[in-house]
Amino acid sequence: MKESQPAIEIRDLTRRYGKLEAVHGLSLTVRAGCCYGFFGRNGAGKTTTIKCLLNLLRPQTGSVRVFGLDPQRDEVAVKSRLAYVPDAVAFYPWMTVRDTLEYFASFRAHWNRDIENDLVKRFGLDRNQKAASMSKGQKTQLALITAICPEPELLVLDEPTSGLDPIVRREFIETVIGAYQSSDPANRTVFVSTHLISEFEGLIDEFTVIEQGRNLLTMNADDARERFKKISVRFSAEPAKLVLPGALQIKQTGREAEILANGNSEKLMAELQSQNPEELRCESLSLEEIFVASKVLTQSAK
Amino acid sequence: MLFQIDFKAGKPVYLQLVDQVRHAAASGMLRAGEPLPGIRPLAEELRINRNTIAKAYAELESQGTIETVPGKGCFLKANNSPFTKVVRDKLLEKEIDGAVVTAHHLQIGHEAFLEMVKERLDYFERKSAASNDESSPKTTPRRKE
Repeated sequence: MKESQPAIEIRDLTRRYGKLEAVHGLSLTVRAGCCYGFFGRNGAGKTTTIKCLLNLLRPQTGSVRVFGLDPQRDEVAVKSRLAYVPDAVAFYPWMTVRDTLEYFASFRAHWNRDIENDLVKRFGLDRNQKAASMSKGQKTQLALITAICPEPELLVLDEPTSGLDPIVRREFIETVIGAYQSSDPANRTVFVSTHLISEFEGLIDEFTVIEQGRNLLTMNADDARERFKKISVRFSAEPAKLVLPGALQIKQTGREAEILANGNSEKLMAELQSQNPEELRCESLSLEEIFVASKVLTQSAK
Repeated sequence: MLFQIDFKAGKPVYLQLVDQVRHAAASGMLRAGEPLPGIRPLAEELRINRNTIAKAYAELESQGTIETVPGKGCFLKANNSPFTKVVRDKLLEKEIDGAVVTAHHLQIGHEAFLEMVKERLDYFERKSAASNDESSPKTTPRRKE
């Protein structure tokens, strides 16, 4: 599968708004069939990057390829193979759920009615309700249905779950895992930008942390959890200042200390063990913690 | 069957699933011929990627723990490891080494360690026997790990 065409390939992408540089020399590759997390703070350049994938914005330098095609030149070919759920969903307010689904289906060569019926029922949507009177959660659910029914090869999600209640968020993610990937999972790629990382933790195969328009860190999720660890230690008496060569960060408060390790947790553990601690624990950082600490983590990795 | 995923365990998620299936098999929670949960429902329930579960099942299949029946799903196999005795010993040795190292760090002595190993073996044997009693006693005791 590795030799197959990547779903997304971004090379040295730069995009400015006036003087403001939103994306600066960003590169990343998303393998087909993988679920890719795109993490960044507000204003890091996530949405700008996604808009370049969809030809809503043009790259100023660098290149963007979706299924090996240029979204600018082959816009229709690209768009017919992907679906997009934006963070703020807008439908024509006078259309009912039924009208909206018909309208969206009319643009698509393929539309899976079974999935549509299934999801409308599962989300408890009323086909006669007008979009104008729908809640934010319901609109997002409707947007997800319109994105999944064409069974596109690529699903682009931009902050899809922000502003939704926990139950709707849970259903949203279950739907992406279940309904979207139900057939031909090798050709179902998800590209999701979010800062609500913990919810997508189990879904993410690979991720990129973007900061000020630059690629700060790209890793496989399992590798990242194996490499970045947090060691908690407590001594029976307050020790002198801990000196641990190779530790990324040491936070010492009284008898306790928290140490960040970058692939060398075993060595650090052995070293701490030799100082006879009262308690010594080691756990992986979650993707969210890795995101929060990514600046520290990448400083020493270089 | 209950799975528990811990993202902080420092162990790849698919390997956690592999371990838990093997644990369930060794303790009789899952018996030969019984089906494993389908990939989609399990992925939705645990809210993890389908690829992760597919990878875990592929690993279990290559270890000879389960078999895939096309169109039907995955089933636990009767206990015949595809590996030779030498390879099996080697595999187990690696696991034991891990436990020995942990015991050392936790300052658990030689005798106490052996005592615990014996206790755990008994525990699995009892559980396995108990679950066999509930149904037809058709399977032989399983290989302990």
